Amino acid sequence: MTQAEHQPAVGFKEGYLDVDGFRIRYTEAGEGNQVVLLEGATWGMSMLRNALSQNYRVVSIELPGFGHSAANTKSQSAQELADTAIRVVHQLVAGHYTLIGTSFAANVALWQALQSPKIVEGLVLISPTAILPNEIEATINPQDRCLQLLAHPENAAALTAIDPTIWAKEEELVRRLNGHTYDVRAEARLSEVRSPTLVVFGVKDKTVAPEAARIYREKIPNSNISFVYDAGHLIEAERPEALIDAVSSYVEHRETYIVGRENHLINP
Amino acid sequence: MKASYLGAMGYSDRRNFPVTWPIPPAYHNPATSVQSYQEGITECELAEEVGFEWISFSEHHYSGRIATGTPAVVAAAVAERCKKAKIALLGHLLPLNNPVRVAEELGLLDNLTNGRLVIGFLRGTPNEDQTYGVNPAEGRGRLLEGMDLILKALTEPQPFSWEGRYYQFRNVAVWPRPVQQPLPPVIVATRSDDTVQYAAENHLGLGVSFLPVEQMATITEKYRGWCEKAGWQPEPEQVLYRGSIYLAETDKLAEEWFENLTRSKPAPAIALRSTVAGAIDAARTGGQFDIRNLVAGSADGDIVGISPTLSFVGGPDTVAKQIKTFHDRCGAGVVDLFFQQPSVEHRDVMKEIELFGREVLPQIKEF
Repeated sequence: MTQAEHQPAVGFKEGYLDVDGFRIRYTEAGEGNQVVLLEGATWGMSMLRNALSQNYRVVSIELPGFGHSAANTKSQSAQELADTAIRVVHQLVAGHYTLIGTSFAANVALWQALQSPKIVEGLVLISPTAILPNEIEATINPQDRCLQLLAHPENAAALTAIDPTIWAKEEELVRRLNGHTYDVRAEARLSEVRSPTLVVFGVKDKTVAPEAARIYREKIPNSNISFVYDAGHLIEAERPEALIDAVSSYVEHRETYIVGRENHLINP
Repeated sequence: MKASYLGAMGYSDRRNFPVTWPIPPAYHNPATSVQSYQEGITECELAEEVGFEWISFSEHHYSGRIATGTPAVVAAAVAERCKKAKIALLGHLLPLNNPVRVAEELGLLDNLTNGRLVIGFLRGTPNEDQTYGVNPAEGRGRLLEGMDLILKALTEPQPFSWEGRYYQFRNVAVWPRPVQQPLPPVIVATRSDDTVQYAAENHLGLGVSFLPVEQMATITEKYRGWCEKAGWQPEPEQVLYRGSIYLAETDKLAEEWFENLTRSKPAPAIALRSTVAGAIDAARTGGQFDIRNLVAGSADGDIVGISPTLSFVGGPDTVAKQIKTFHDRCGAGVVDLFFQQPSVEHRDVMKEIELFGREVLPQIKEF
């Protein structure tokens, strides 16, 4: 089986939009407050998307150049991709939404939030690589890269095997858009992020320096950082329940998610 | 090599305790207890005076034998009386405790001691799983996660949330941070492969307690192998051995004492009813234990536990040689010594400390 069989998940309906010269695939499902997911290299994972669609209207946008879309040789930066994503969202989502991105797509989401401060009511950056990325070996194959992204190599079995052609296309794009390079322009503008922001890292994420999380927390005015124990860069592959719990809670409560709501009464 | 004095703070009237754990609070006499803690602190003071460079404390519960259930409290009290020695908290029983609370205690202690804290992490003996109702099967996982969380809590300068397997905290911001930056010395006290490997991969020290030298050598060899794989080698102070000691003026006197001890059939350490011990062991290993399958036992029950053994027994030269073996075979740079044996009273412990400082310490400092 190859990565993402190109079928929408159960309950999701699929559509396409032509924007900025790209044919852009999106899926949507659910009702309620709106959540936009930017999809970059997904490694075949969709648990977070599916879980969120149980309680929210989820619109998932495949960034041009990722997944089964055509190779993207046009975009010149994460910021430009964010401009394209904004135009797609404008056609699909009316009003406010929570924006979520993972890895390089989180870098794009960060730029999108900077450029749409009034309508992004919440921002969730999962394993973003904009700040203090570690050196990533360029010639490595998809299987070995996958292992680099996990805390425990045995968890690779849970992932859908990735199509090497898709992986090479995505890798080339991310590298060309400096997705493995410190985005000093983004860091310089973190203080301008107006959306409440949650930044999530796996404790064993080897793609960024451990100090990255605190930079987001220091510079984004209303932000929280969350560490997921026993997870690497692909948190959804190793601790899906923890990721879904943290992100869902943040989408629902934003910065007030720190307030405990569990009932510990044993014998009422 | 350095010496560390284990501040056990044993209840002086402990020889009358019943065999099994826990010791009923009915055996506690407040006046005896107050005096025992004062004597224990005095022992620490003397140890520092004669040249022990560390004073250690260890969390143990529901017993007056090592009466430091909340070791940070005792450590803070002793640190006010002993102003030079490292205060080594070896350590908290992580599976039992809220790791954030532990991190707060450690941060505070490093401030109160102006950077003299040594941190230790422990899983605890099987009986202690029963102290706060922790499932013994979760002990290993709680220890591993607890260590990760405490290290993060002590080093992360920004508030964070933690999505763990056993712990979930949405708002962690430990205050005060340790004086020693980025972190006080940390020792993982263990004999299990996964935790030894954790210590090596995280550049932490290793502590081994009460094992014979051959067994410790096997563990330290693995540890050094994993350290090398992780690109570093531990300093001498990062390998610690904790052992029980009886020191006399001569080998003959020590042997006589030990013979009397064994002849009196002392209670085993960490004694439990065999049924309880079996149930704990089954819970730890994922096995089954159903007491209904057993024939009813006697009212006294079968008691199981660890036979009393001493790592170091003898006169000064003999004890120095015994300690040297741990240095030579295992690379131990610190020896943490438990002097308060069941039948040894405070005044005799004081004599041992004084003798150790005079006759043994000058020898082991040369290692």
